Amino acid sequence: MIELAGLDVNYGAQKVLDTITLEAKKGVFVGIIGPNGSGKTTLLKAISRVITPSGGIIRLDGLPVADLSSREFARSVAVVPQDTHAGFDFTVRDVVLMGRYPHLNRFSRETEADLAACDRAMALTGITHLSGRSINAISGGELQRTIIARALAQEPRHLLLDEATSHLDISHQVDILTTIKQLSTEIAVIGVFHDLNLAAYFCDEIIVLKNGKIEAAGTPAVVITPKTLHDVFDIDASVSVHPVTGKPLVVLLPQSQEIARTNHRVHVISGGGTGAEIIRVLHRAGCRVTTGVLAMNDTDYAAATELGIACITEPPFSPITERSTSALAAQIREADVVVLTAAPVGAGNLDNLRILAEADDTPVLFLSDDGRAEVPDYTNGKAGAFLDSMKGSGRLTVVSGHELVNRCTGGNYK
Amino acid sequence: MQKGYAAIIVLFVVAVATVVICTGIGPTGIIGPGISGSDTASLVLFDVRLPRVIAAMLVGAGLAAAGVVMQGLFRNSMADPYLLGTSSGGALGAALAIVCLGGAFHGLLAFIGCLAASFIVYGLAQNAGRVQVEHLLLTGIAVSMFFAAILSAVMYSSGQNLHQILFWLLGGFWNISWSDVTLGLVILPAAFCLLLFSRELNIFSMGEDDATHLGVNTERLKIVLLGISSLITGIAVAIAGCIGFVGLITPHVVRLVVGPDHRFLLPAAMLAGGILLALSDTVARTVGNEMPVGIVTAFLGAPFFIWLLKRRYAA
Repeated sequence: MIELAGLDVNYGAQKVLDTITLEAKKGVFVGIIGPNGSGKTTLLKAISRVITPSGGIIRLDGLPVADLSSREFARSVAVVPQDTHAGFDFTVRDVVLMGRYPHLNRFSRETEADLAACDRAMALTGITHLSGRSINAISGGELQRTIIARALAQEPRHLLLDEATSHLDISHQVDILTTIKQLSTEIAVIGVFHDLNLAAYFCDEIIVLKNGKIEAAGTPAVVITPKTLHDVFDIDASVSVHPVTGKPLVVLLPQSQEIARTNHRVHVISGGGTGAEIIRVLHRAGCRVTTGVLAMNDTDYAAATELGIACITEPPFSPITERSTSALAAQIREADVVVLTAAPVGAGNLDNLRILAEADDTPVLFLSDDGRAEVPDYTNGKAGAFLDSMKGSGRLTVVSGHELVNRCTGGNYK
Repeated sequence: MQKGYAAIIVLFVVAVATVVICTGIGPTGIIGPGISGSDTASLVLFDVRLPRVIAAMLVGAGLAAAGVVMQGLFRNSMADPYLLGTSSGGALGAALAIVCLGGAFHGLLAFIGCLAASFIVYGLAQNAGRVQVEHLLLTGIAVSMFFAAILSAVMYSSGQNLHQILFWLLGGFWNISWSDVTLGLVILPAAFCLLLFSRELNIFSMGEDDATHLGVNTERLKIVLLGISSLITGIAVAIAGCIGFVGLITPHVVRLVVGPDHRFLLPAAMLAGGILLALSDTVARTVGNEMPVGIVTAFLGAPFFIWLLKRRYAA
């Protein structure tokens, strides 16, 4: 277990880390994220004794790290640094064998056990075939895997990764991190990540650093939120729950162009994630957006609440009640325009279309990239009939996303 | 690894042969134990040539060992034993002995000058108990220049002694006796100590932070290795003056043959350095008419080195 209590690091007069307190236990993969210069690498350097903290204490399995000898420390903690500059022409295997150094006596030679540990590490990182190659003659990704193998050959109880997979292609990133994740049941892992989705997927706990301080800490679901990402990285991102992994999924939103603030009221009828992006874009473009009716487990509902947008809701898998339909009718009356997306329509949400079709003077913009106004229809044609009636009366115009935003912000709905 | 052992065995055989052959060759002709039994011949052979050849072997081996360590520590194949200002410190010590003491104790003062320069450089480059190799390198250059300036001032005002100082600066084995060989033998146990740290040197060449991560006590390693190699360099300089090139080129060439593993590189480079210097000295005292051996090593070494670099960067 690695414990940090009130850790301070100064570079000259500049405070780089400010009272950092954290804990990494065996079986837990801790991720550190934060913008450049937030102190992530410094934190790992302080733990790995490359730099000396100016205050606070670091304990390894209860012992202050300063009390350990260099070898004792390296038997316990292995580090994979961001970059490695190979000096002389050592072979890949020579370099991995260097990982056994802390286990060797000055006068002893590598034993069978040392060589076996080295072979295991090379197999785990998939570099066995590179064994005899010079480290100056392999690719950056292969070198990084060699260094990871060297760290694994140390057979450490703690592993520190400083963007350890940054030079790897996506398949090797996932391979290596999966391997490390499996190992993390036996060892404590602290890893610095740049890729938020990798961090969210692999880490059990995430610590967010900003200006040398811990800005947030906790499980990925708690820490990785649009608000934190905005506060720390100054980015607009949407965070949803990945349907397969169940982990937070970060998608960067394009920086909004500066569009004149409008006061147009737009009501969005959507569902199943078909409206999330347009809700955000319209909101950021300055429109007063309302949404609904949506089920409370709908992705569009999550997007709306994230942005603080009013939403008429029903509990999951419930029919739309009388109260909601009248609320919807009122919203449509007040709106300058209704945006309709190609959300699947079934018995549960057919009322959305019915109310819309009945409110006959509010213009409707149908969001579609192929120019057709169609929805996946599970109502035996009832939904299609409502759409046809609106098309027939000329209320409904089919537009692309880009045009839709222009029309809504420009007040040109027909 | 096989290559490393093979290279060491071959070099050892060549080294023994070199001692025998070089002892046999000289301005007074080729003499061997079987050819002449006269007192003069045995005097030339055992009290003039043999100690000189052995001293050249030891000094060459020492400079090569120090060169290997410097190149490993500085992760730079352009580093040489004189990097920490040892040559200018030693030269200044010897020059002062020549000017002030009429040449007495010049070996001792050279030795003291070498070690003093190393200590000063290390002390100046220290920061809160830590020394960065880049800082050490640049401090070494600055201190060398400072000592060189004083040396130039001493030479400028040395009058008749200038010739003697110049000879010493170029380096050579003119008045070698068995006592010099005894001093030179200290290089062997010192180099053995270096060999014990060869695994650390291998790791250190991956970078200082990596070495720390792998459990190397890097600050202690630097002190021990710089201390021992300064001692070796000091002994070499005290015996034969500032002989250049052996400590730079031998490690480089041998690394190309046996690879970067210091467990093999260090002994192989020592043997090769000894052979190179013994042969160069033989050339210097026969063909070269007793010219300083530093001239021979640089004259032969520089073109070879240029060829080597050409080949390496063309590949």
